[in-house]
Amino acid sequence: MFPFIQKMLSFQRSFSVSPSLQLPSPMETHLWFVVPDEFKSVSLLNQYMELLSPCEKENVLSMRGEQLQKQALLARTLVRTTIARYQINNRVVDPRSLKFKRNVHGKPELEWESDGGQCPSPLHFNISHTSSLIACGVTVNSSIGIDIEEKQRKIKNNILAFARRYFSLHEVEHLSAISDSEVQRQEFVKLWTLKEAYVKALGRGFSAAPFKTFTICIKNGFRRGFDHADVLESGAPEVVVESSDRPERLTNNWQFGLFELVSSHYAAVCMEKDKTSDAGMSVPIRLNVRKTIPFVEDECISGTDAVVPIAGLIEQF
Amino acid sequence: MAASTNSLISMQSRSGMAASRICSLKPVSLSNQGRSFLSFGFRSMPARSLRVSCAAKPETVEKVCEIVKKQLALAEGTPVNGESKFSALGADSLDTVEIVMGLEEAFGISVEEESAQSIATVQDAADLIEKLVEKKD
Repeated sequence: MFPFIQKMLSFQRSFSVSPSLQLPSPMETHLWFVVPDEFKSVSLLNQYMELLSPCEKENVLSMRGEQLQKQALLARTLVRTTIARYQINNRVVDPRSLKFKRNVHGKPELEWESDGGQCPSPLHFNISHTSSLIACGVTVNSSIGIDIEEKQRKIKNNILAFARRYFSLHEVEHLSAISDSEVQRQEFVKLWTLKEAYVKALGRGFSAAPFKTFTICIKNGFRRGFDHADVLESGAPEVVVESSDRPERLTNNWQFGLFELVSSHYAAVCMEKDKTSDAGMSVPIRLNVRKTIPFVEDECISGTDAVVPIAGLIEQF
Repeated sequence: MAASTNSLISMQSRSGMAASRICSLKPVSLSNQGRSFLSFGFRSMPARSLRVSCAAKPETVEKVCEIVKKQLALAEGTPVNGESKFSALGADSLDTVEIVMGLEEAFGISVEEESAQSIATVQDAADLIEKLVEKKD
């Protein structure tokens, strides 16, 4: 067990965020998030600005309007301060010192040097924003993708027309079968977040895994027949992804979690299954969720009614 | 002959930023060892595309702006033009896909995922639309 930072009010003047945390263990995802409306202090926002690289600052200032600038600033601040919390190799990390690069497909990654020269960082992260909540998920030695959407998000296009254009056949069938338009809209948003999280976890860009070429299915928990190796406990809806254009593509090495966050958002997490566990066996994603105001306050909300699992094997801690 | 450090066409690409500007053709006089000659310089061209910005008709750009404004529910009077970056206007991935779908319906075209991924600005969208419409006819 590593120490939580419980509700703690301490204004950090220095730029190191302490106490340092142990890195997530395999199959653990740490999810940190900010709520932009909670940030009103201009001096605090200016402090955050100081953490950014020149390129990030320029990008923030290129956003149209104060609200968008604030969101962009908070997104970079969240990424930098979150990663800086984790001591890597017993070094205290200054959020300003972190360097980022994009992998060959454009996915942002942490660039870091170990003693032996550059090698891939064990720490993986992925970020998602909405205007009302910005989240950053962190894992160790596992690719991660997250997506957050407002539960109330309205789709401008007709949902089924959109699904027919972008989703897979099975997914269209699933959505078409829902008669209540509000339930259909909610299922659409949940499906979108899961698909986004998967593509972001793959890290190869939207065009490498076009949404039409894979199906995500939320299966209600039921006891499987003897022809299947794994048996589900009843009541735990399982999230499964299948690739329709490349059936040989490995898809059972990805695991999903879908949950409601602070009653207002759907959140999807997709991460690689721990390579040391038996192939096909599903081990729960251990999920820790914390709301933060960097340098001011952190609050652990796992296990409260602010985090409500919807699908996938999730164990909160 | 121009000295090796002076080149007729200078392209500046800013690393890390996909800043695309409308290129302006301005006569620039370059002086080289006391001799001056007129040359045209391309200002701040994104390295990935060497094309003149007047590729797409203004009506196309205008229509794209309308669709973007509607999708993003932008406040009255928010300036949107060819240079506008979708992300800078607050579009997330779902917005972008919805916008592309709106453009497909408005222009009767079909946009491949690869092409959709490369759309960063209104101008990019307008240029792609005209290319696809042309192919159709």
